[in-house]
Amino acid sequence: MSNLFYFPLGEETIISMKSILSFVVAAVLAVTIFSCSKTEVDSIDPNGTGGLTLEFDNYVGGTNMALGTAQYKNTAGESFTVTTFNYFVSNIELTKEDGTVVKVPNSYYLVREADPKSLNVSLTGIPQANYAKVAFTVGVDSLKSQAPVTERTGGLDTGSYGTDNMYWSWNSGYIFMKLEGISPASTLSSKAFQYHIGGYGGGFQGAAKTANNLRKITLPLGTTSAKVRTTTTPTVHLIVDAARALGGTNTISFAATPTVHSPALAKPIVDNYVNMFVVDHVHND
Amino acid sequence: MVCALLAGISSCTGEAEVSLDTPTFTVPKNFPAPAYALDRNRITSAGVELGRTLFFDPKLSRDNSISCAECHSQPNAFTHHGHDVSHGIDNRVGTRNSLPIQNLAWSTSFFWDGGVLDLDLVPVAPIENPLEMDETLYNVLEKLRKDSTYPKKFKAAFGTEEVTTARFLQALSQYMLTLVSANSRYDKYVRNEGGTLSADELAGKQLFVQKGCANCHAGELFTDNKFRNNGLSLAFGTDLGRGRITEAPQDNYTFKVPSLRNVGVSYPYMHDGRFRTLEAVLDHYAEGVTETPNLDPLLKQNGRLGIPMTAGEKASIIAFLKTLTDEEFLKNPQFIQK
Repeated sequence: MSNLFYFPLGEETIISMKSILSFVVAAVLAVTIFSCSKTEVDSIDPNGTGGLTLEFDNYVGGTNMALGTAQYKNTAGESFTVTTFNYFVSNIELTKEDGTVVKVPNSYYLVREADPKSLNVSLTGIPQANYAKVAFTVGVDSLKSQAPVTERTGGLDTGSYGTDNMYWSWNSGYIFMKLEGISPASTLSSKAFQYHIGGYGGGFQGAAKTANNLRKITLPLGTTSAKVRTTTTPTVHLIVDAARALGGTNTISFAATPTVHSPALAKPIVDNYVNMFVVDHVHND
Repeated sequence: MVCALLAGISSCTGEAEVSLDTPTFTVPKNFPAPAYALDRNRITSAGVELGRTLFFDPKLSRDNSISCAECHSQPNAFTHHGHDVSHGIDNRVGTRNSLPIQNLAWSTSFFWDGGVLDLDLVPVAPIENPLEMDETLYNVLEKLRKDSTYPKKFKAAFGTEEVTTARFLQALSQYMLTLVSANSRYDKYVRNEGGTLSADELAGKQLFVQKGCANCHAGELFTDNKFRNNGLSLAFGTDLGRGRITEAPQDNYTFKVPSLRNVGVSYPYMHDGRFRTLEAVLDHYAEGVTETPNLDPLLKQNGRLGIPMTAGEKASIIAFLKTLTDEEFLKNPQFIQK
């Protein structure tokens, strides 16, 4: 910063007041602008930690998600509204610019479009560094899926869901992703569609394992790293496009498949939704 | 007096001296080690009492009309006597016959299809099944929190009045774990505790092994805990059983091998309760086995379907099976809500 404010005094004796004034204004403006955008963050305290927020911003195509009201169209050309959009994000990993991977311990988060608080996942205790990549699992891993009931807290508490259930009681396991809505194309009398995606690949006594629909999503942050510092808590703003769960690799039609409630049948949707997460930008403030 | 206090579930003569934390659960001498992780959920009398109160409380259903005990009644080894498939809320009818609740500490999976692998998670299924209790676990916990007596019971069992999912489920497990049936005449015979079997019953015991029944209804729990297709015809529906859980074609039409303890009082039989009598069950194995996909090879040996048995042999086997009825278990006053 000192170079910016270097003001040559001495031999230069003829300096108009006007030019001094304009310089001061420019300098003040510059400082103001810099403090707003804060392009320069603190230095890294090698032993220090900080926070990082993952912001999940749900869309359908290019349009923001509005539950129950907004009309959308899938790639099969069927119109629909969304009534529920939930997913588990777990096992979060942050990769430093130097390639070091930081695993966020015990990270299990349930993101629900209906619950604005859940859209911002605030991580704390993150080692200070510049992070270039974020990765997470969509769903709940097999270890946690079979964990004792005492270890199922927060979004994993099977007694916390009310009517918006994220757990299959008859086939013990979490619903990784739930997308529900209404479409005139649905062949159900209610005109509803319900996609409940789960299946952690559980097996039993050497018998066949169930379908494994756990997927790891790895997202480079692009040109702006997430700079975790004592006073800087970056936000990674993710766009999550629910339309990509319904199209892309496999076209999902509400007429052909109005419901999915079991792991094996879920694969076409899983193969789609691995592409629904995109990093839009990173704020370092 | 010490015996009566210690036993809790039965006469103390039948119990080994192994006590797992508390006098309310003991491993019978002729039983293997339990499968349930008892160290994760220490059984206490206050926990068992809370679990028993919950088991008999209709608040667990949507309209507070039916309790767990409705379909799991003690005189019938905690199953729904006389009903082919179990009846739930609003007289809705389920798709399967409720299984007895007994010796669950030795069970490695739950329900006919083994869809649940942890006893603690079992109650969530009937509570949330629309055909059974049609309630949400969330609502049940809310009802308990507002109740004038439950928070105190939770404090007695877990130290504070907080009503949580884990505590609710662990208390139910504690109660269900105490439902140990190991004092039938057969048990007292094999443990040399003065139980006697008649000549016919002993012949039945021998036939039970010779005819291969014990291949699946194995050991002292009378089940190998595996999933098998026992050749039921598809005339009563096409329940895929284990195949619904694994979605693997080789598991279609397979169901968990049920224990035969208290089989004499836990009619009707099979996952859909199609057989009302043990005679009908034995007739099935002798003459009724149908070749459906994944039929267990033990039921088709040398090209012949089923297990050849004469009328006399069937009668002897049934006589033996009835020695597995445990009157002490079926009448133990500690198992019911006072």
